[in-house]
Amino acid sequence: MSKALRINGGAEEGLKELLKFLLESGKVKGALTLTKTGANGAVAYSLVASPAQLDHALPLFPLMPANTGQLLSLLTLKEGATEPVAVVLRPCELRAFVELVKRNQGSLENVLTISSTCGGVYPLEMALNGSIEEKLPKYWEAVKQGEMIPDIRPACKACEYFAPYTADITISLLGNKGIDKETVMLLNTEKGESFVQGISGQFTEEELDSETMERIRSRREAEKQKLFDEIEMRNLGIDELTKAFSRCIGCHNCSKACPICYCHVCFFDTEASEHEPLHYETELEKTGNVQVLPDAIFYQLVRLFHVSASCVGCGLCADVCPANIPLWAISLRVGETVQKAFGYLPGRDVEEGLPVTTFKPEEFAGIR
Amino acid sequence: MYEGVNMASSQRGAIFAAKSGVEKGILEFMKQALSQGCFDAVLIPARVPAGDSFAYFLIRNGALLEGASPLPPIMPVQGAKAISSITKRGKGNKRIAAVLRPCEARATIELAKLGQADLENVVLVTVDCPGALPLSKYFESAEKGDELFGDASQDWNSEPMRPVCKVCDRFSTTGAEDLHIATLGARGEGILIIPRSPKGESILNKLGTPPVEDISSWEDQVNKLTGERKKARNKFHSALRTDIEGTDGLLEVFSTCINCHNCMRVCPICYCRQCHFDSDKMKFTFEDYLTRAGARGELRLPADMLLFHVGRMLHMSLSCVSCGMCEDACPMNIPVAQIFSLVGDRNQEAFDYVSGRSIDEALPLTTFEEEEFQEVEQSYAGTSARQED
Repeated sequence: MSKALRINGGAEEGLKELLKFLLESGKVKGALTLTKTGANGAVAYSLVASPAQLDHALPLFPLMPANTGQLLSLLTLKEGATEPVAVVLRPCELRAFVELVKRNQGSLENVLTISSTCGGVYPLEMALNGSIEEKLPKYWEAVKQGEMIPDIRPACKACEYFAPYTADITISLLGNKGIDKETVMLLNTEKGESFVQGISGQFTEEELDSETMERIRSRREAEKQKLFDEIEMRNLGIDELTKAFSRCIGCHNCSKACPICYCHVCFFDTEASEHEPLHYETELEKTGNVQVLPDAIFYQLVRLFHVSASCVGCGLCADVCPANIPLWAISLRVGETVQKAFGYLPGRDVEEGLPVTTFKPEEFAGIR
Repeated sequence: MYEGVNMASSQRGAIFAAKSGVEKGILEFMKQALSQGCFDAVLIPARVPAGDSFAYFLIRNGALLEGASPLPPIMPVQGAKAISSITKRGKGNKRIAAVLRPCEARATIELAKLGQADLENVVLVTVDCPGALPLSKYFESAEKGDELFGDASQDWNSEPMRPVCKVCDRFSTTGAEDLHIATLGARGEGILIIPRSPKGESILNKLGTPPVEDISSWEDQVNKLTGERKKARNKFHSALRTDIEGTDGLLEVFSTCINCHNCMRVCPICYCRQCHFDSDKMKFTFEDYLTRAGARGELRLPADMLLFHVGRMLHMSLSCVSCGMCEDACPMNIPVAQIFSLVGDRNQEAFDYVSGRSIDEALPLTTFEEEEFQEVEQSYAGTSARQED
């Protein structure tokens, strides 16, 4: 059981109420949330400073135009948050931010994290022409029942980590039959508790229903296996990877969108990755033909090597890939294998050391 | 008269026998030229091993060349980027013939002027281009895409092609290539190859390709289609202009932009190793962000979305070749290439410049004249005087 707060009104309204309270009372100076930005219904993240601007906030809109973990890193990279700020983010985004904090790419100080049990998001390509708005009633009905939501991204259908680990406040959405009438917020930390002091609502003690959570998790796991089978991800050897990556156009947009790929300049975008004409001439002599631009597969393999221990399965890499490569599945498949080997779960606990920082001379003797 | 079909070289054209179609004919021509030592290797698109896409390959082996696709259904990589990747650090020892779409050749010329490609040992070969399919369409099903493109390119039906391809008025010879392969209206028995430089002419001479004097049938078709496309392009641009004009119009059309900057990364002209907008200069303190949010009530994040697009326009529109890569690579389906084609056309027109038309035509920014554009100049002194009133 944890402390909890119930506010009248549906989940999105209740959450906006909370953000409004926090801004109006001066407990936070800003709130990072999704908002409606364009006349055509475009939705983007916004750092809201004035409570009036919350009117067009859509904190639970099922779209991920960027990984909020990456945005939080942008906000807190240089000096950290010098004033308190509230942020609404999905469990995978929070996990990504925790991984970034471990890498000194951001700080949790002064940051109030508000997350929820997550139904998933729609593909970015559906962001135009109101196609998501049309689906919203069905989306929320499925969330309420804790059912699989049609048309959400495959990465979300396959996600078993839909409940946040380190959130200060968790909004109960999945399988919560009352989300139209009342907002249930679990106050997981002292920070969460102290920020909501003074808000009008009912303070109780409750927890997420473990049976419902397990039912949803096992359904997602089964879906993951099904999707892996469909795109032949079970046996992911060098041949399968080479095949999957062969239509990569070398744009590196996956790395740009990935919250874990935090390097200011990727090695593959540096001068060190440019070649002298002699490089091509030598390759040409050896093999008779050489691909230009080179290194597309090498880039993908190195990226997997760099990010897999911390991959949170947010799926943005696949969402932004112009070649439609199922990167979410590849990252997830490789990620869970690596993470299992190290007994590590990215974003579970900010104190949990990154696998590469906890080297033991004795480990992995079997593969040496 | 179409400005491109203005023959400088003495030989008007040559017919290369091609019994089994245009594509095979082009490959056979390249293979013969390779075996005769006209060049040492060919840079040409070919299907990737998995079969579901294409990439540029540098090939020195005639047999491997047979599997290439001189005019693939899609443009997964802009060919100018491929040439730059090989010659950016200087000319190599091998002579390379590159088979490109006209917009790729034009971007190559721009990159050479910008010091990002060395063309001394490169032979540029262009092919009349019926357009390219959107990447997203092709990646739904490569098989269907091949069929769709095969049919559409046969009839020069631009319907299924990318939006900027439909209104492309520079689909034929660029004027700056060495050899142009004139396939528009080709009739079975051979392909028309037109030398556009002394380098190109010497290749035809070496191969002994029989010359033809009368290429008017092809010229007429190119001129006719160019005229139609110019009209369609103007109409298209006028309509687009009303939608996107002014800061509000631009903000709306870019409102779904996620700031991934992929348009910049696939653009052949955007050659900076690190874009200013990805640099540390554009990373601010929390206080900076909060101050900006406070001033307007809120701040969209990532910030400076429109500034990036306008900055990019300012930097590359004078060299934009309307190749469409930016739009193909945009995860949000923003009509980036359509917008940039409009801005590019207008800016180039103002400077009487055409990107990729000639290697000798100086980049507008290198030919500043003190007296030009006085009509858009504002008196600095006058402006400040008015403010003081």
